[in-house]
Amino acid sequence: MSARDSDRKRELLGLYNEPDDAADAVSRLRGVGFGGNDIEIISATPYPEGAFGEQHAKHRLFAFPFAGAACGLAVAIAWHIGAQIALPIVTGGKPIVAVPAIIQVLYEGTMLGAVLFTVLGVLFESRLPDGIGVYDDRIADGLIGVSVMARERRIPDAQIALEEAGAVDVLSKDGSLMRPAAASP
Amino acid sequence: MIKPEAVGLSLTLRPPYRPSTIAINRKSAVVVGVGLLAALGVVMYVVKLFSWGDRAEWAYPAAITLFVLSSVSAAPLVAFASRMARGYWGLPARRVVELFALPSMLLFALLIPILGSLPPFEQDGVTRANLWFGWGGGAPFLTDQLAVSVMLLAGGALMWFAAVPDLAGPPSRVRAMPAWKRLLFLNWTGTKRQWIVLRTSMRWISAFYLMMYVFVTMILTTDLGQSLLPGWRSGIFPAYHVITSFQGAIALIVITLFLLRRYAPSVGQFIGDEQAASLGKFLLALTLFWFYFFWSDFLLVWYARLPSEVAAVQTNVAVTYIVPFLIAMFGQFLIPFVTLIFNPIRRKLARLTAVSVVVLIGLLFDRIRLFVASMSSENPFSHGLAELPEPYYPNAIDILFMIGVVGMVAAIYLWVLTRIPTPGGWEMREGAMYRREQKYMHAEVLVLGKPD
Repeated sequence: MSARDSDRKRELLGLYNEPDDAADAVSRLRGVGFGGNDIEIISATPYPEGAFGEQHAKHRLFAFPFAGAACGLAVAIAWHIGAQIALPIVTGGKPIVAVPAIIQVLYEGTMLGAVLFTVLGVLFESRLPDGIGVYDDRIADGLIGVSVMARERRIPDAQIALEEAGAVDVLSKDGSLMRPAAASP
Repeated sequence: MIKPEAVGLSLTLRPPYRPSTIAINRKSAVVVGVGLLAALGVVMYVVKLFSWGDRAEWAYPAAITLFVLSSVSAAPLVAFASRMARGYWGLPARRVVELFALPSMLLFALLIPILGSLPPFEQDGVTRANLWFGWGGGAPFLTDQLAVSVMLLAGGALMWFAAVPDLAGPPSRVRAMPAWKRLLFLNWTGTKRQWIVLRTSMRWISAFYLMMYVFVTMILTTDLGQSLLPGWRSGIFPAYHVITSFQGAIALIVITLFLLRRYAPSVGQFIGDEQAASLGKFLLALTLFWFYFFWSDFLLVWYARLPSEVAAVQTNVAVTYIVPFLIAMFGQFLIPFVTLIFNPIRRKLARLTAVSVVVLIGLLFDRIRLFVASMSSENPFSHGLAELPEPYYPNAIDILFMIGVVGMVAAIYLWVLTRIPTPGGWEMREGAMYRREQKYMHAEVLVLGKPD
């Protein structure tokens, strides 16, 4: 095996019947040196954050509504000020660009931007590919998956950690890594 | 103690409880009837289009449109409230109410001719009252429709995102989808990050929906109401409209839950007195709010005695539309107040449903007295009514139009029930994870876990 091959990361997925076993797997993986970013939990039901001892999953969704609101506000301001300046009519002695008179449309523009960008943000955060290469339909049947990205040379460590935590099965891209006798139904 | 339905507490994570779509027999008399009513609604809408620009002709359509806004469009907010307050009673109802986002899309089509019939802000050098300071950049048609579109977009996104984990199916199915469809299903696998993004987005979008709902109510009630009836000036009216809309939404949800419990066992098995007790409290509180907002509004006019304001109140409250007003007062306040103060009525779904029907009837007549009066007002450019107008009665087409709109809402809702699994499976499973009935001394108590 070349040095490049041993540095390449591969994904392993351990499947567990019980949440406690999945939490144990995360703890064992950490114990043998796998970092928080290498470990991912997959489940059909949302568990509380940190239930498995996993690291907080980072995302940037919160930035999208603010960015969208700022863009929407800017467009609304440009639209309004442009219209007022293009056709300057003094109404009731008020300034040509009077904020109270345009605040509703500024609000609409801001909200439109915020909603659109939030929807786009959700799509962005669900982007393809998502880094999860190994999956198993048994997760949809209630098993809990613990996915770990490991360098080639560390695959045995990861596999042992996953198996010792009571995995029902351990999968790689090429299929099950567990011996048929060891894999419980 | 009011207990959740036992089946809701006994849901398992493995094998996971998976909701199904509701199978509807298309040949049943009720479904055929709803379909015919929906077709009637489409026909009446087309027939009414021949009256394009005639504002009074659109008076009753405006009333029923605002009735839809006040009940159907407000319903998804109950899911938001229940999630924000960690109200587990709402678990079986959340998907049921979110699905109302789809029929509320009708608003957009209904508002096109209604807004198109509004007079310009300025005519012969005279300006009528409006929120837009006479702005000529497309107000009120474009601005109102834009606001409605943003609200509907938020409602649709909320409904879809909440349903994705139940709709997507196993990862192999999602992976086999074409890229665009996979993205539409948020590339769903169920990773921790996906769950967090899903929850965060639902919180944001729900909040935006609420913000837009209140805004849409403010501009529509002003553009179709206060700005058309001379002398009608009220700062509290949009708030009154929002509060009565929440009341209408709760009533609609109670009726829907009752019907689902009775005719759709797959959903109905989770619905019971726990939902009735919580929704009943809301309904009672909102009933009291009705009086507070109405009285606050009315008292100022009564005390100030400005002739133009008095004439407006005489029009839509005391003289011209007194019959619809009385029906509204009895339906939205007196009957629900007198009945809902009693626990045996408020906590039983069937009895609460009967009260809810009365509330919705009251709401419809409330919208009629408010918006038929304004839409049929002869001269919105004057500063006050010289004499009180005669009531504007509906003709056969108006009545059929209103019935048809109700039919369209019901038909779309039934259709979406056959497409999106109900109730929300992942939230039901999560709820089962956090709730247990336990013995405490000699009593059975409900132990709740609230993770965040």
